[in-house]
Order: sequence, then C-alpha cells, then structure tokens
Amino acid sequence: MKINLRIWLKIPDAEAATVKNTLVRRMGYGKVLTGLERERLFALEVDDAVEDPPDLARMLARELVNENKESYLASAEKLDFERGSVPVKVGLHIEDGEAETILDRLRNRLGFSMVKKVERSVIWKLKLDSDDPEKLAREIAEVLLINPHKDFYEILR
Amino acid sequence: MRIIGHLDQEVETNLRGAGLGLTVSEARSIADILRRDPTLPELFNYDTMWSEHCSYKSSRATLQEFLHTTGPNVVQGPEEDAGIVAIDDTWCVVIAHESHNHPSQILPNEGAATGIGGIVRDVNCMGAKVVATADPLRFGDPNGPDANHVRWVAEGVVDGIWQYGNALGVPVMAGDVVFDDSFDTNCLVNVVAIGVVKRDEIIKSRAPPGAGEKGYDVILIGKPTDSSGFGGVTFASEALRAEDEDANRGAIQIPDPFLKNVLFKANQDLFEMTRSEGITIGFKDLGGGGFTCASSEMGASAGYGMDLDLDLVHRAGDLPPEVIGCAETQERFLLICPPKMTPRALNIYNEDWDLPNVYEGARASMVGKMTTNGRYITRHKGRETCNVPIEHLTGGIRYQREEKPREMHHMEPAIEVPQDLSQVLLRVLASPNTSSREHVYRYYDTEVQGNTVIRPGEADAGLIAPVRGERFGIALSVDSNPFYGRISPYWAGATAVAEAMRNVASIGAVPWTMTDCLNFGNPEKPEAFWEFREAVRGLSDAAKALWLKGHQNAPVPIVSGNVSFYNESPEGTVDPSPVIACVGLIDDVGDAVTMNLKEPGNNIFLIGPRFDELGGSDYYRTVCGATGANVPQVRFDLERKMIHTTIDSIARGFVVSAHDISNGGLGATAAEMALTGKADLGIELALDRAGSSRLGTDRLIFSESSGFLLECRAGAEEDLAGLMKERGLDLMRLGAVKDAPELVMTRKDTKVVCLDLEAARKAWTGGLVEAMR
Amino acid sequence: MKVAVIQFPGSNCEHETLVAARSAGLNGEIFRWNRPAEELCDFDGYMIPGGFSYQDRLRAGAIASKEPVMETLKEEADEGKPVLGICNGFQILVESGMLPGLDGVDAALAQNVMVTKGEIVRRGFYCAWISLRHDAVAGRCSGSYLIDKGSLIDMPMAHAEGNLVTADENLIEKLNEENQIVFRYCDTGGETKNEFPVNVNGSVENIAGICNPEGNVLGMMPHPERSSFAWQLPFVDPAARRQIDTPGPGRLIFESMKRYIEVSG
Repeated sequence: MKINLRIWLKIPDAEAATVKNTLVRRMGYGKVLTGLERERLFALEVDDAVEDPPDLARMLARELVNENKESYLASAEKLDFERGSVPVKVGLHIEDGEAETILDRLRNRLGFSMVKKVERSVIWKLKLDSDDPEKLAREIAEVLLINPHKDFYEILR
Repeated sequence: MRIIGHLDQEVETNLRGAGLGLTVSEARSIADILRRDPTLPELFNYDTMWSEHCSYKSSRATLQEFLHTTGPNVVQGPEEDAGIVAIDDTWCVVIAHESHNHPSQILPNEGAATGIGGIVRDVNCMGAKVVATADPLRFGDPNGPDANHVRWVAEGVVDGIWQYGNALGVPVMAGDVVFDDSFDTNCLVNVVAIGVVKRDEIIKSRAPPGAGEKGYDVILIGKPTDSSGFGGVTFASEALRAEDEDANRGAIQIPDPFLKNVLFKANQDLFEMTRSEGITIGFKDLGGGGFTCASSEMGASAGYGMDLDLDLVHRAGDLPPEVIGCAETQERFLLICPPKMTPRALNIYNEDWDLPNVYEGARASMVGKMTTNGRYITRHKGRETCNVPIEHLTGGIRYQREEKPREMHHMEPAIEVPQDLSQVLLRVLASPNTSSREHVYRYYDTEVQGNTVIRPGEADAGLIAPVRGERFGIALSVDSNPFYGRISPYWAGATAVAEAMRNVASIGAVPWTMTDCLNFGNPEKPEAFWEFREAVRGLSDAAKALWLKGHQNAPVPIVSGNVSFYNESPEGTVDPSPVIACVGLIDDVGDAVTMNLKEPGNNIFLIGPRFDELGGSDYYRTVCGATGANVPQVRFDLERKMIHTTIDSIARGFVVSAHDISNGGLGATAAEMALTGKADLGIELALDRAGSSRLGTDRLIFSESSGFLLECRAGAEEDLAGLMKERGLDLMRLGAVKDAPELVMTRKDTKVVCLDLEAARKAWTGGLVEAMR
Repeated sequence: MKVAVIQFPGSNCEHETLVAARSAGLNGEIFRWNRPAEELCDFDGYMIPGGFSYQDRLRAGAIASKEPVMETLKEEADEGKPVLGICNGFQILVESGMLPGLDGVDAALAQNVMVTKGEIVRRGFYCAWISLRHDAVAGRCSGSYLIDKGSLIDMPMAHAEGNLVTADENLIEKLNEENQIVFRYCDTGGETKNEFPVNVNGSVENIAGICNPEGNVLGMMPHPERSSFAWQLPFVDPAARRQIDTPGPGRLIFESMKRYIEVSG
C-alpha cells in the first residue's frame, strides 16, 4: 500500500517565487503563466497489513513534516489534485540518497519497520492560460524544471 | 487594556488572555507612568522590552558587579550589538556571542540557522566585515533514554548551521560539541561571530548627533515583516514544557541566508557611500524584540524620540500594530540618516541590489522620523497606537533575585587502576566528547573568503588572516565543560576562561578579548541563580588573574556576551554552562604553530604537573559512568605563567607544535598530536616526571589538570629550558617524537600504554560519527 | 588584461577570486549580475565564482543560468575568450549548456555521495583539502594552459553538489577522446582510486573539472582561489607562511588564464 504525503509551505515559498520570477521575467512566460505553487511529495510504500493507515500517516507526518512552516495532506494510494492547475511531478531518476537516508531512519531508528520504500519528489502546480496547458507544462518542465541527466518529470492527471 | 481600578485577578486574566508575559505589578507600574490605561500595542512593546532577553532584568546587577569590560585595548564594551577591541592603530576586531537554545530544541534546523543569522547581523551592523563564526553546541546523551530525539536535534542543528553559514559565506573557525544528559530536553546552541573594521569606520547602532533636531529619517530594510517570531523573546525567557511545544513553534523565525548575503553587500555599498561623503548614520540589526526593540533603543540611547508610521512598514499581509512592532522577522536592519541621503539609500537596496526581485516583498522603506520630544510614538491606520516615554520603555526593570547554594553530594568513585590502559585510552579516544570533531566540521565551509590559516582539527584554535596585505592573524576558540559545572559552577567559569585562553596560546596567539554566553536554569529559583553568580565570579576571577599579556593586572576584557536563563524543563535543568569565546591576536600568521608532530627525534615537554583532578573527566565517565568530585582548578599564577610563556616560546621559534591538555588528559592530548596531520609519526613518553609519584598511572594519563605538551625544535632545548626557568616554570621532558606510527607510554621503565596509531585513529575518528548516526 | 568576476545574488567567493586573479597579474573587477549585459564585452576573460547563486533554488546553478548576463557570456565565449567557473560557477556553466558544450545540457552535477567499500558513508556537503591530477595536456585549456599533464595540485573543495552524472552513455567516452577531462580527484600519489575519500563526491571517473571542445571554457568544483597563496595551505612549513606573497598551487589556474589571453590575443 502507498501512503502519500503532500506537503506545502504555510510561510511564503521563496523557491516557488524565484522559479516563477525566472519564467516570467527571463524566459518569456509572463503572458501565459498566471500562477505557480510548489509542494513536496513523499510516497511511502508500506506493508499491506497496516491496520490503521490514517493513523500511520499521521505518525509519519510527525517525522517528515515541519509543522511550524508546513501543512500536509495525507492520502492512501491515489493522488487527487484540485482543478485549475497542471501538476508536474519532478523526481530523481538517479539514486536518491536522501530518500535512502530517510528510509533508514524511519525503519532503523524510529521503529517504522512497516515502511518498505520512500520516494521523494516535488510537485509544481502551474496555472496556465493556454488552449493546451499540458503541452505548455511539458515545455516548462523541459526548459527549466528538470535537468534530464538526473531528473524525470511526469504530468499528474 | 483596563488596569486602573481593576482587581489584580482581573488584570492577570486580561494579561494572560492577550498572550502577554508581563506581571500584574509590571503592568500597573506602566499605567502609573502613563497616568492612563495602556493600549494593547503599548503593553506588547513593554512586554518585549522588559523581557529577560532584552532587559537582562535578573542578570544585570551580577554582571555589573563582576565582569571586567574595559581595558587598554577596548574600543567599545558591551553597550551595543557587539564589542570592539583594537588590533593595532588602524584595525579592530568586532565580536558578538549569543544563544539560540530554546528555538533550536523545538526546530533544530531553523533555530540554529537563525542563531547564526542573528549573530552575523550584530557584527555586520557595526560596519564590519564578518570574517568567522564559532558554534559551541551542547546536546543530550546520544545513548540515553531520549537518544532518538537527541540525535534528531543534533543533526538538525548541525544542518542548520552549515546550510546557513556556508551559503552566507562566512567560515566556521571554531566550536565544540559536548554530549551530556542534562541537555536531553534542553540543547544549547551558542553562536559567536567576529568581524574586522577600521577604527574610524565603526558605525554606531544609535541615532547620530543632531538626528532629532534635524528630523532624520528612519528606514527599515530587508524582508517584509510577517508574524514570525511574534512572542519570541518572551518564549526565550520561559522554561520549556512539552505540552507547549506546539504553541511555541509559532515563536520561531524563518531565516534566509540568500537574502542576507545580498543585504550584506548592499550594506557595504551604503557604508562606503556614507564614509566617502562624511555622513554619520545610525545602523542596527533587528533581532530579539524586532522593530520595537531596534527602533526604541536607537532613539533612547541618543536621547531622542521617534514618530513611526507602521503603515509604511513593508509587510507580508495585513498585520495588527503589535505584530508589526514585535514580530521577529529575520533579515532586517534599521537605518537612521539625514533626509537628503534617503533617496540614495533607498536606491542602493531597491534598485542596485534589486531586493524586490531577490525576495518577494523585500525592500527598503522610509517609516518615520526622529524627534526631540522623548516620546516613542507609533501610528497605524490613522490612529496613534503607542505614545510612551522612550527611556521608560527601554530602561527595563531590575530584579534582585535570591541565591542559595545548591546542595550537592559529589563523591570520588572508588576504582582500581585498570589492567589494560591501552584499551581504556582507546575507549576514551572513541568517547562522544573526546573523539575527533571531523564528522561535524567537514559540513562547515572553513575555507570560504580564502583567509584561513589554521582550520578546525589542526590546532586548539582556528586562525585567519582577515585583511589581505596585513600579516596579523586572529585566533578564535570556545570552551565550557558542563561536567565541571555540575560539580562546581565557580571552577566551570574559571576553567572555561583558562582553557579558551590556553587554546589560542597553543598556536602562539595572545588572548586579547573574550565573550561569555551564560546558560543556566530558572533564575527565580535561588539555586539556579546561585549557580549563575558562582560561574560569573569564577570566570571574572580568571579573567583578572590571567591578565592581558603585557598589561600587568589588566583583566582580559569581556566586551560582549549574553545571558540565557530558563534552560530547563520538568525533567531538570542544564548543567551550569558559562561558555567562553576567546579571541587571540598574533602579529604574524607565519609564527603560528599547529598541534601535529613535526620531526622524529624532537623532544616533547610538559608544563603543568598532573594533579588528582578527575572530577568531570572523560576517564571517569568512560570507565565507571561517574562524575566524581575533584574538579580541575585553575592555579591562577601558574596558569598565567604557562599561557604567557607558551606564547613567547612559540614566538621565539623554540616550539614547533603545541597542544593544551583538556578532555581525556595527557593521554588523549599526546594521541591527538600524533593523529593530526599526516599521522606518520608516533610519540613515546615516560610518565614518571608528569606528577607526584603517589598518583596512580591512570590518573597521570587521564587527569584533566591544565597544562601544555610542547614539541621543541631540535637544538632549542636549552633556550626553552632557560626561558621556562626564568619564568619560574618546571619544564618536564617526557619523551620524544618517534619515527614509527605508535603511541607508547612508560612508567618506571614499564610500558603502560602501547597503541598502534591506525587503531587509535579508527577509534578517535569513529566516535562522533557513531554518536550522531 | 581585464577580467570580470561575475557576481550573482548569493555568490560568496567573488572577492577572494578577484584577489587571486590579481595575484597572477590580471586586472579585474566584480561585475554585478544586473548591470547592462553589453558592458561585459569590454573584458578579456571571465570568472564565475563560487557560492550559492539564488540559494541553489530549483537546482544549483539553474536559475542563474537563465540570467541575461549568461547570454552575453556565451557570445563572448564563442569568440574564444576564456571563461573559468569555480564550484557554483561550474554548476552554472553546466546548467547553461556551456559545459561540456557538446549538445545543449549534457550533464548534471548531482548531490555528493561518498562511497567506501560499496557502502554510502556520507552524503551532501563536504569541505576538505584534496589533491587534483591534471589530465589534459598543457595548452589544451585556458584555465590550465601552463600546467603539465599529470601534475598534482592541492586545493580545497567545499560543495554539496559536485557529483557529475549524465544520462548520455557515450558522453564520458567522448570527453576522454576529446581531452575535455581536465582535473580528476586523486590521492597524494596521483592515483585516482574511485572510492571515498579519494573520490570525494562520487563523480563519474573522479571528474573534478572539464572544459569545452574549444578549450576556452573551464569548470571545476574545487577552489583554486583558496590555494593561491602558500599561507592558505594546511600544515604548510611556517617558513613558507612567513612570506606573504609566496604563491600556492592554485595560482597556476589564474596564471594560465593570463597566459591564454596573451597567446590568443
């Protein structure tokens, strides 16, 4: 079973602001890009036998979410995104060392032995004023959001 | 808020309901002065300014009683954001030292980063270039009942420090990490920053002369004000309770090293402009207490009033006036300058350095005027929200706290001399507190700015050559041993001073100034307040007795510092921790020495005989888990002679390596001299001369009595002996550098320790990795 | 001969880089990123210093690589002027496609991964003095013009993302064939053991620095500006430290650029 934790900042997101600024001021997307938000996503593969997934999600969130500055939404298996923006998921296709460290800590130090795998990624939610927003989102992912030599992207729909 | 004519209980309810920390009698005294009920923003302003953090209400009397803050080299004592001492006729070193303990316990990464961010602003706002930082850290027992949490805190704090400091571009030159179960639920994160500035280019953090009469402008620079850190100083002054952790999280600030990096460069342009035009400005960073604290202190310290329009403050969203005043949003500065300069000052930040595009909402804004009426006035949405006498607001209050000696029953453990001292030495070398700090300092950029001469791991202190073209160097070291503090706060204070000084002396630098960061429990408890006073008395006695070299009887001045109380939780209070940072000066960085062994055959000498002083030692903790009672004392005359003579023997070229004796005693000290550098040379020492023949061999090896191991340049033995004799010191030849990678110690011609350096290295470098895994 | 040290918001090595350039006899100034880009044409060479441009937001170097000043820099580089990117400067050059300069963005500098005996022993930021082996022939590249092949040079590294990776299976072979691999991490004897602590960040084939096919653009993770004076070196003989201008090994990088400008000019 997969537990998804979508995490976003409650405080101003300086990274999202910088990326938007670059797309608008430096790369000519000022007319079509009307908004940009960023989330972190943890997809945690856990034992199917887990009894109370929402409770486990809450406990995992205590370790992975910094509630002073972040909010989160937990879901099992499926990811649903609100309409109005194109969610672009960006992750590493090379080995993700940080995800390995987190898995090791969860399992071996914090006692979450039911966690089998940790996947980390970033979701860029692009608000685009375009007839084919998905095509435009792909273009933006390829020109800025990823370096193909280490990252992959996927439009979540 | 209604106070006048209301019962204490009603006032109490109103104050707590509003989230204020002021006591009823404090609130009444404010109403008396104003002769009316104060407004809510006024109460928040007083709450902030009268907090322990801003007003030192419990500690000030003790500090004034004991601390020596003046001296022949002092340019500015502790009255402003940072202290300043002269290096020569042109250059000065600026130093500041603070704690960020409470926030780091709750949110280690942001808490520690904000600590670094705040301390570098304190130094920068004096007009100085920030050239180094140091961070003394105290964490709980990594193997105790709170191990997971302790390690989470330790890792987060180290991450916060490197992520912030490295991005800012200031090298970490010193620091220490100590694990002790008294920090299980109260970590200590102290931060030190030093800078250099020319004496005639120092900028004051007060309104300049004439500012009130000429109606100078008040300009707020940096990040848009938000609600982060609202209530922060009150939080820093109250003991932590677990159920409050969530509530306290709101009190933590979010730092941004990137914006800070750009702000520092813009500040540099501003400083250069004012210097070239001969304009005097006032400039101050916004730290604890936010806008209210910085603005009122700048005005009051120059005897002026201020009229401030909170609607002109650039901010993130619509905020109530008390939040705009008291929030602790990071990366902000306040400038007071003549109106004719204002457009150009705004231009530097908003156009040249493009703040609005560097960080959303960041900029410089004119927010008010200086006045001569002595009132602190703020306006918000057309209403006057605060109008109080500025000196009353910043004057704070004083408390005379009660003190009572803590009852202690420390005993020396009864232990036999262990059979295999080699194994014991290996265990001491691998212990969390004696092992190599490499695991941590590799996260720190110790090389940025390119000024680094001696880096962490090479000697007892770091050394930089901070001004290109000049040969002088600035050394930096920190020290405090919580286990000594547990036994005797007085000797903890004295030994912290002595060891911090020995550390800089070990590279050949003269201890030139110090700062203190005093970390204790709740001062309202007489035992905690006694510990505080004892520690201050101890460090002050040592600063006086180990006087400034070349200035007989002039204490090494303490020019800056910080008091952190309430480091306690229901589980207990922290061990008394007077943390000392010592700045050393060396005329020519070429004369400095490191601790690693240099040449086979060179003689190794000891100064400082071994005493039965293993209270608080790593040896006791390692072999029997005990604290003990015989804490190392500072023999003031001997200590001063050792420090000053070590410096002279290095300056004259007699000594090529030096290492002071501390954690782990003579055994660990000798091992470390062999384990740093290329580590291809060994050492052989005969212990017979190291102390009284009645001392057990384990005590000779592991006593933490002060002293130095010195490697003498071949051919300089007689010169060294002559110098020591002239100074009344007993120079003990213990052995020599070996051309083989092993560590050997003998007593009465019998080998008592024989360690292969490779095994020693494994133990020594692995200890901290294990403790922080 | 005048060089521009290009300063982005978040750069933090511009001053010592300029000092090192001057110690090698180059004139220069710090060039703020939002100055009119065309003013860049007045310089004979360029350096992008270390630091954290835009706080490494998105990816190290990604945001800075889109700044207008980089367009102009590319044009100047196309004319053969020398460019040296150090640490974050190297990251910016890779993200802009100027290095290795074959076909768009050819590689990435990923997070450091320290591997010993098949096990990850550490990750992320690491600061230490290391040895580099110069694997290009003298004259191949602007920033190592004066350095013989096989020479060993000590300088510090201090970065979190210097692990060169590529999805192009043939890239490393091509770089080897074209002699574009300029520096490799090695031990004090010059051996390039592919294991931490010799390979300090997990970079493929211990790569520490590469140049473009033309040789005028060099990017490297370690910091030659922090090794340009003998007194900056750890455990150096105090006698060398006493002479304030005694050069350190890193100065060769800056002297090389000077020589390259003389020769190509």
